[in-house]
Amino acid sequence: MAQNRSVVIIGGGHNGLVTAFYLAKAGFKPLVLERRNQPGGGAITDEFHTGFKCSTLAHTAGPIRTEIVRDMSLTRHGLKLITPDVATVALSPEGRALILYDDTKKAAAEIAKFSQKDATKYPELRESLARIGKVIGEALRLPPPDIDDPSKSDLWGMLQTGRSIRKLGKNDMYRLLRWGPMAVADLVAEYFETELLRATVAARGIFGTFLGPWSAGSALVLLIRAAGDSHPAGSSFYAVGGMGAITQAMASSAQQAGAEIRSNAEVIEIRVKDGAATSVVLSTGEEISASAIVSNADPKRTLLKLVDPMHLTPDFVMKLQHYRTPGTVAKVNLALSGLPNFTALNGATGEALSGRIHIGPEIDYLERAFDESKYGNFSRQPYLEVAIPTVADPSLAPPGKHVMSIYMQYAPFKLKVSDWETQRVALGDTIVKTLARYAPNLPELILSHQIITPQDLEDTYGMTGGHIFHGELALDQFFTMRPLLDWARYETPIKNLFLCGSGTHPGAGLTGGSGANAAREIVKSMKG
Amino acid sequence: MANSKSKYDVIVIGGGHNGLVNAAYLAKAGKRVLVLERRYVLGGAAVTEEVFPGFKFSVCSYVVSLLRPEIIRDLDLPRHGLEILPLDGTFTPMPSGDYLWRVNDHGKTHREIARHSKLDAEAYDEFGKAMQAMCRFVKPILSMVPPDPATLNPRELMKLLFIGRRFQGMTSEDKYNQVQLMTMSAIDFLDQWFETDVLKATMSASGIIGTFLGVRSPGTAYVLLHHYMGEIDGAFRSWGFSRGGTGGISNAIASAAREAGVEIRTEAPISKIIVSEGKARGVVLKNGDEVYADVISSSVDPRQTFINLMDAGHVPDEFLEEVRRYKFRGSSGKVNLALDALPNFKCMPGVGAHLRGAMSISPAVEYMERAYDDAKYGNFSQRPYIDMVIPTLTDPSVAPPGKHILSCFVQYAPYKLRAGLNWDDQREAFGNNVIDTIAEYAPNIKDIILHKQFVTPLDLEREFGLSEGNIFQGELSLEQLFFLRPVPGWAQYRTPVKNLYMCGSATHPGGGIMGANGRLAALEILKDFKGAA
Repeated sequence: MAQNRSVVIIGGGHNGLVTAFYLAKAGFKPLVLERRNQPGGGAITDEFHTGFKCSTLAHTAGPIRTEIVRDMSLTRHGLKLITPDVATVALSPEGRALILYDDTKKAAAEIAKFSQKDATKYPELRESLARIGKVIGEALRLPPPDIDDPSKSDLWGMLQTGRSIRKLGKNDMYRLLRWGPMAVADLVAEYFETELLRATVAARGIFGTFLGPWSAGSALVLLIRAAGDSHPAGSSFYAVGGMGAITQAMASSAQQAGAEIRSNAEVIEIRVKDGAATSVVLSTGEEISASAIVSNADPKRTLLKLVDPMHLTPDFVMKLQHYRTPGTVAKVNLALSGLPNFTALNGATGEALSGRIHIGPEIDYLERAFDESKYGNFSRQPYLEVAIPTVADPSLAPPGKHVMSIYMQYAPFKLKVSDWETQRVALGDTIVKTLARYAPNLPELILSHQIITPQDLEDTYGMTGGHIFHGELALDQFFTMRPLLDWARYETPIKNLFLCGSGTHPGAGLTGGSGANAAREIVKSMKG
Repeated sequence: MANSKSKYDVIVIGGGHNGLVNAAYLAKAGKRVLVLERRYVLGGAAVTEEVFPGFKFSVCSYVVSLLRPEIIRDLDLPRHGLEILPLDGTFTPMPSGDYLWRVNDHGKTHREIARHSKLDAEAYDEFGKAMQAMCRFVKPILSMVPPDPATLNPRELMKLLFIGRRFQGMTSEDKYNQVQLMTMSAIDFLDQWFETDVLKATMSASGIIGTFLGVRSPGTAYVLLHHYMGEIDGAFRSWGFSRGGTGGISNAIASAAREAGVEIRTEAPISKIIVSEGKARGVVLKNGDEVYADVISSSVDPRQTFINLMDAGHVPDEFLEEVRRYKFRGSSGKVNLALDALPNFKCMPGVGAHLRGAMSISPAVEYMERAYDDAKYGNFSQRPYIDMVIPTLTDPSVAPPGKHILSCFVQYAPYKLRAGLNWDDQREAFGNNVIDTIAEYAPNIKDIILHKQFVTPLDLEREFGLSEGNIFQGELSLEQLFFLRPVPGWAQYRTPVKNLYMCGSATHPGGGIMGANGRLAALEILKDFKGAA
């Protein structure tokens, strides 16, 4: 019965493509419907200025889970990942540079230039993160257990996780328990005395969230990211051709597995009959019925916009409305006539700039940047995560030219006064001004720019509230509570309607985790 | 455990409410107990002192609510003079000239909130019910010795299972709330229930008391619950005064302890805990006297106990590191005023019932959050959160006839001020800033002040031995609660030093005049006595 194996997947983001692949492998007939002119969602490469290509949104991978890379044989589908030796270089306004190499020893040697003590502590933290991250990683691969009546496999999963937690030994186990709810600022202070190093590591606990380094729970964000990559400040994972290359490879792999992908196909409604999803309606009026509908869109967009809420209980609707999606990041991409000259690196080119560049020299600097957003203003001295992908991958720009990809935080989706259309230019200026303090010649190198405000993230890329992770990364929105307690298993109150996007466990980042977990659960419930 | 030299079975360090409760329970079980109090007066932070002639201030803690009912019963405290006079309602003046006045009378409060928002008036009742369900879940945990999740000891695992089962037992609605309460910020939590800013602001205040967190910091929803747990004569969420001031509670417990045979010495500061061969043997007083006992029970915080009162080398470095890491971060101060008359609020002139309850300066969520922002960078809040009471309207005995006391809890006052500032220089500025803030709502305040007492976090540390001036002997943040309090793996009142126990607020279930810590510690100590016998 081919018909009832048909599955529609709304949205061709990386998670949607991963789900499509695994469903096709399991013998289903997935049809991916992408609103925009190309699949990829937040992982895309656009030519934003003639001859200049840039990862429009995400500029480094999560990293993608190894088993996904393997199963989808992404390399065979053209994916070339680059991991520069330099993970991050952190710059101080006084003109000092802290180069965090991917290699722990080399990183420690650089740190020693700031503090011998920190240089010895750094490997300790990385090892601890590796051990704890491994356990968290296991938990992230499991579907969250059913709180009300855990199934056998749930209990087995919990038992396994419990075992590995015990295997950690008392110290790491208590670290895990203690760090989880902690402020990342406290965590880094337990290890380091160098403010620049503290801030650089702490940044990993706040990126993309509505948290400051002093917000409780920011340490857990760091731990969850460490599950994929134990580098305290996070490694840089690039793809030749930009992040779009990742989703291109995924798309081609999914298609080869038997999935169909249609671009310029915007779903405007999910039709529900007798409590079950039956079909989707496109903006063209075309109706496509399927035995299952999987949404890669965020939970709010899926269940409050595409579905008529009358099919849901008021209580569920209320809870979903309370699911927090306060976007805090903006993105600026620059086309440059040459490589900017960073004072701290006195003209050094190449290697030092091959990784990400961290702007946010002190914990207090990051916290003050956060403070402004609490009151509905964007940070005048923002925290920036910058990448110059052309250093490692010259193919993105004409010879000698470069592109600069800048994540800016904090840019609150809701501004207290004015709106993002009015503030767009001011936002760009603030970012360039901030960077010019570290690379004075930057302004005259700019050939063209692309400014993406939180409003654009919602309007153009469909992320509710402009939240790049489809929902805040907070203690109460993780694991069995993502997106909602009792609804963390990729199912929804509507039969045959599933979620597979970042708004589900594990969520955070470009890892494919949500998509892979979702596919497994969907296959189970479709077979069952 | 027998120790030939010991005249006592147990020496309790510190005569605060927990130390006294601890001593009383031990003595009732037949132990010979000595309590050593550093100051001239008992009670620790639960103390009444005649700071100015005729004016008896509850210098630190000023209201009571959390005192565990089982302790009141077991120690028969009413017979020993404990009398709690109910404190009715919370009055929140607003700069706009409006106000929010919540009282215990359900109908009145409903009408009052409806004046601001009909929706919120409805939600308020629902909220109360939900919080009671949450309290019912957490209460038994308050009276329970935290399990150690790191052991495979079946007894410990059973405890975890017990909690798990209770959680399972809740309706999924309650689970949803419980999970949120344990993880969310007070404001994120309240935002889901209410729309009125002043209501959210003033309710969120109890989520930050005694912590170095803001109303938007995750984890503050739990502290909200912690303060909701209050119970007087079985009535949830009711707060009150102790007749004769907060010290009245400590005096009642002390009297019960003495009756049970406890010997109490005041002005007996100790300089050192005597440890040999990994066992606590006794204490050395500042005057040089040595007193020995089989067991030492310390009601002072871990920093005092393991760093200030103990020679190095008696506890493992790992443990010491955790003690150093334990966060105090005092964030509040007190301003106690002796008044010639009553404050006159612009938004509700004259003398009225609103003065008999708590008066809360918490007019807006942003106001609360900005107060926190100041503290994050080492300044006392330009416009602080203030919780005020006038005990003399309920219990005239604490001031001369016709005179009054205004007791103000002030947050934020960070123990660590930014570089270049110190509390001795800032004390006056801090106190006067509080008075200026009050004057914005009750302009006559400056004309009716007879005496002022400003208590900074540094004073709390110096005078009351509270490290970094934390009124709860350590922050009530998630990573310092339950089996993580005060040190992971040492949440069961025992310590790495044999025969040395902890029984203060730094242990589970934390701060506030609960007494649960002292009681639970006593029960563990008695268990070990039996084991040794």
